[in-house]
Amino acid sequence: MSKLRNVAIVGFAQAPIVAENPHRTAPEMLYPVVRQALANANVERKDIDYQCAGSSDYVDGRAFSFSQVMEVMGAWPPVQDSHVEMDAAWAAHLVWVKMQAEECDAAIVAGFGKVSEGSPMHVLNLQLDPFYHASLGLDHVSTSALQASAYMAKSGVDDAGLAQVAARNRAAGAKNPDTQLRQAVSAAELQKTPFVTSPLREGYLPPIGETATCLVLAAEGKAEKMCDRPVWIHGVDHRIEFQTIGARDLTSSASTKLAAKNAFEMAGVKGVNDAQVVELGSTTPAEELILRDALGLPSGLGGTSGGPVVNPSGSPLCANPLMNTGLLRLAEGFRQLSGRAGERGVAGAKRAVVHASGGHCLQQNIVWVLGTERRWT
Amino acid sequence: MNQPPEERVKFIQTDLVLPYHYVAGDYKALYLRALKDKKILGSKCSATGKVFVPPLMSSPDAHAPCEEIVELPDRGIVTTFCVVNVPVYGRDIELPYVVASVALDGADVSIYGLVQECKPEDVEMGTRVQAVWRPDGERQGDHSDIKYFKPTGEPKAPLESFIHRL
Repeated sequence: MSKLRNVAIVGFAQAPIVAENPHRTAPEMLYPVVRQALANANVERKDIDYQCAGSSDYVDGRAFSFSQVMEVMGAWPPVQDSHVEMDAAWAAHLVWVKMQAEECDAAIVAGFGKVSEGSPMHVLNLQLDPFYHASLGLDHVSTSALQASAYMAKSGVDDAGLAQVAARNRAAGAKNPDTQLRQAVSAAELQKTPFVTSPLREGYLPPIGETATCLVLAAEGKAEKMCDRPVWIHGVDHRIEFQTIGARDLTSSASTKLAAKNAFEMAGVKGVNDAQVVELGSTTPAEELILRDALGLPSGLGGTSGGPVVNPSGSPLCANPLMNTGLLRLAEGFRQLSGRAGERGVAGAKRAVVHASGGHCLQQNIVWVLGTERRWT
Repeated sequence: MNQPPEERVKFIQTDLVLPYHYVAGDYKALYLRALKDKKILGSKCSATGKVFVPPLMSSPDAHAPCEEIVELPDRGIVTTFCVVNVPVYGRDIELPYVVASVALDGADVSIYGLVQECKPEDVEMGTRVQAVWRPDGERQGDHSDIKYFKPTGEPKAPLESFIHRL
């Protein structure tokens, strides 16, 4: 792998993740978060030379929704700005690319989505093809259920297995003051929750939630001044598959597998076991198991078996604020490797693998490798 | 059976249903509520002292909090305006009519409204105007509570006095 520019995460802030914040608009939720993220990175807005947001017009119910947050991200004197109509984890990737091109040295990445103002079920239905899929009324839960069902048939994992995965995440979430569901619930209890769309029970699905997030990235030379323990990006890749759900093998994630292979190669690591922490953007227990397969992790069912700690944050099963969910995974990697994860911190963690997803049934996947040391000298 | 149908289906009609309820947020909620009482509220930037109306939580230029809420008079000057000569979707007003940017006294940004009770040719940049409110009991806490602005008859403001607010 040729030498790339060392880029680090140097700050992060988020609003509390709640079902509904009735007191603030999306920009008003984001403003204090941007101020806090800048403060955490010991800089002022003028020290930032690029900004990028991830959001969705359909989530927010307005065209060009990103333009409403210009004022709170900082737009004066006129700034360089971009936007992705995707989870903000992809906005972070775009910033990383910009830094590789040496077009900027310090940047903020923002995620926002006022989920409670609209209807996620309707919005996510429209993510599908209008002729064959959207017209059936499929939403994220029903497509995830189709996927879970297929995975269970192929792998032999049963309802109790899904409950075990969910319970493990809920237990982790109980130690994360920044997530939404913060109560541990046993597998047996989760298995008693009603089916939303079989085989997915209420206890196997994330709550509806909204937040605003801001991550600060900086290139070497600046990063060390902005953070006591910058977390360096060692490798990253993202891959996408067909939109047509029927044309994909729903029981595996070829795009995660390939993105991980490329990210590991860039990072110079052999595989996922070179990391001490893995954070997955899985919104159902079946997705987590599929992602574990793709990354080469054990299922973790029937007891732990060593290897990296998976989903110390509690995963999106404990909080899935649309457009922010992926960036929160990256934030967890930052918190874990920079000693900012509090009680749930994985002792001595030096490397993390972070994953985020977009689209129905893991259509698009991004994999990051993060480390406490610079990758390239 | 192997023949394609003679009449092809050229499109499908899908009626999208996307319900939203936009949260006003505490700042705009204060502003909208005050309109019912014939009051116009703004907020003051903690860094520059600029007054924004409707009130903003933070200033776009200084990126600073604007937590101080201030009350503004319902009169000001026309900074820029246009004369509408064609019907506009959703609006049923006798043509031609004037839409103006009105800088309320003490505010650093303008609000928009109609100027009525005068001929379009009587409106100029600098014309002093005041709000004409919907009557008591008919105001509902939205922007239509100000029916329009009308000229006060005072001498027009010189350009230098509002050029920074264009």
